[in-house]
Amino acid sequence: MNWERLLKIDRRVIFLTMALAIILPLLFPIRLTMGVQRVTRNLFQAVEAIDPARQCLLISTDYTPQTEPENHPMAKALMRHGFARRVPVLVNALYVEGAPLIDQAITEVMGDFNARATSREDSILYGRDIVYLGWQPPPIVPILAMGESITGIYPDDYYGNRTDSLEVMRRIRNYADVGIVVAITPLSSPLWYVQFAQTKYGVKVGAGCTAVCAPDFYPYCATGQLSGMMAGMKGAAEYEELVEQKYRTGGRLKATEGMASQSAAHVLIMVFVILGNVAYFAMRRKS
Amino acid sequence: MNLSTDIWVWVGVFLTFCIYSFLYRDNPFYKFGEHLFVGVSNAFTLSFMVHRIIIPILVRPFTEAWRTAGSEGLSAGLFNPYAPSNFLVIIPGVIGCFYFARFIPGLTWLVRIPIALFMGYYVGRSVPAYLEGSVFPQMRGTMLTQASFDPAQGGILGGIFALLVLVGVIGTLTYFFFSKEHKGVVKWGAQTGIVFVMVGFGASFGFTVMARVSLAIGRFIFILRDALGIVT
Repeated sequence: MNWERLLKIDRRVIFLTMALAIILPLLFPIRLTMGVQRVTRNLFQAVEAIDPARQCLLISTDYTPQTEPENHPMAKALMRHGFARRVPVLVNALYVEGAPLIDQAITEVMGDFNARATSREDSILYGRDIVYLGWQPPPIVPILAMGESITGIYPDDYYGNRTDSLEVMRRIRNYADVGIVVAITPLSSPLWYVQFAQTKYGVKVGAGCTAVCAPDFYPYCATGQLSGMMAGMKGAAEYEELVEQKYRTGGRLKATEGMASQSAAHVLIMVFVILGNVAYFAMRRKS
Repeated sequence: MNLSTDIWVWVGVFLTFCIYSFLYRDNPFYKFGEHLFVGVSNAFTLSFMVHRIIIPILVRPFTEAWRTAGSEGLSAGLFNPYAPSNFLVIIPGVIGCFYFARFIPGLTWLVRIPIALFMGYYVGRSVPAYLEGSVFPQMRGTMLTQASFDPAQGGILGGIFALLVLVGVIGTLTYFFFSKEHKGVVKWGAQTGIVFVMVGFGASFGFTVMARVSLAIGRFIFILRDALGIVT
């Protein structure tokens, strides 16, 4: 075999092969069985443990459009979970670039639920079931201030409504009324919530992070500081599956759609890595 | 095939191809996409900052306080920092403006004031929080205790993992201990450490690959589903 030629293969051929590995499973979908990691299940259980009568789910959407494929399905899956359990959902954003994306996600998930609703009680209403608090800089300030008063640091919501005039905000005052904060991010915001909010106010914290960040957060899951975690698109797909299995909420499961492509791409990369190493050692022996 | 009729979807497709064209080689389309992204991001952040922060938190309280003072005269309420209209907001406003002093020769020293306040606040807040939220709990999590073998923590297997973590931490710290030559026991410790460091790098690389592939999948789903309507 001509190992030298293999080592000098044009990188563009590799890119093209990778594109095919991603596109083909999308065009010809195959259903793969997916194991659910313990950290994802723990996060699901933590949201399940919220008491809808007196607590809410706070989703801190701290991502920008660059990581939309990984983080956006996490936010939607969490909203679906909250709506299915009738847990009030509060959403805030620590980074400004992602703020309109969240508005889009809220509209989409509310639309899915309301399309099936038969009465006002069944419906998801803004102000009663969900509030989008919007963006308030710098991150450390809202994280700390929400321990005292959420309406104090977010006097107006994203749409310009007075937050203290919204139905759900009359009973949700601060972290004492928050069942869990789930920070969805490509950065370190779950750790900020652990360091600033959990140590001072004792609120539970969960994470939805890009795969790159996941190794940083596993130690915090091991110590119980993070109640659970969704790691990358795979974590989002696992959460989507857990919510779908239990509540049949419907709607588009975007992370699950990409899992076959993800597996195909990983197999291809493993093949490349093995071939590259074999060729390298074969060439070294030859020389 | 069910082509999208939304013009913005096609703008998205065009920009996606502009950026991915870099995989072939650097070219004007890539440069266009890159510059557009930087420009739009900055403009969006700036306009959002002006309309959502500077006007409601700085300009509006001050102008309303000014109007009230003009019609009703000065009162103590106009100097209450918690009041919706007050004059005190001008203090952080002026301090913030000192950032621009770096453009005025002779007054550049003023920029030190907001930087010092900013750094002082963050260091004061962050150091205790970091120790309390990260360093101490993580050190506690590394300790091997009887609780590590608790059935609720995984029993014997949980204990073995806890031992592995302890060995990994000590080995890695030994590897990065440069005050003593790596000989004898220290050498064994360092060599154990390097194994853990390599496993850590491998895990990080695997996760990074997964993340980058996910981003590519997101774009392909957008093109094939949202734009071309080929996949359902």
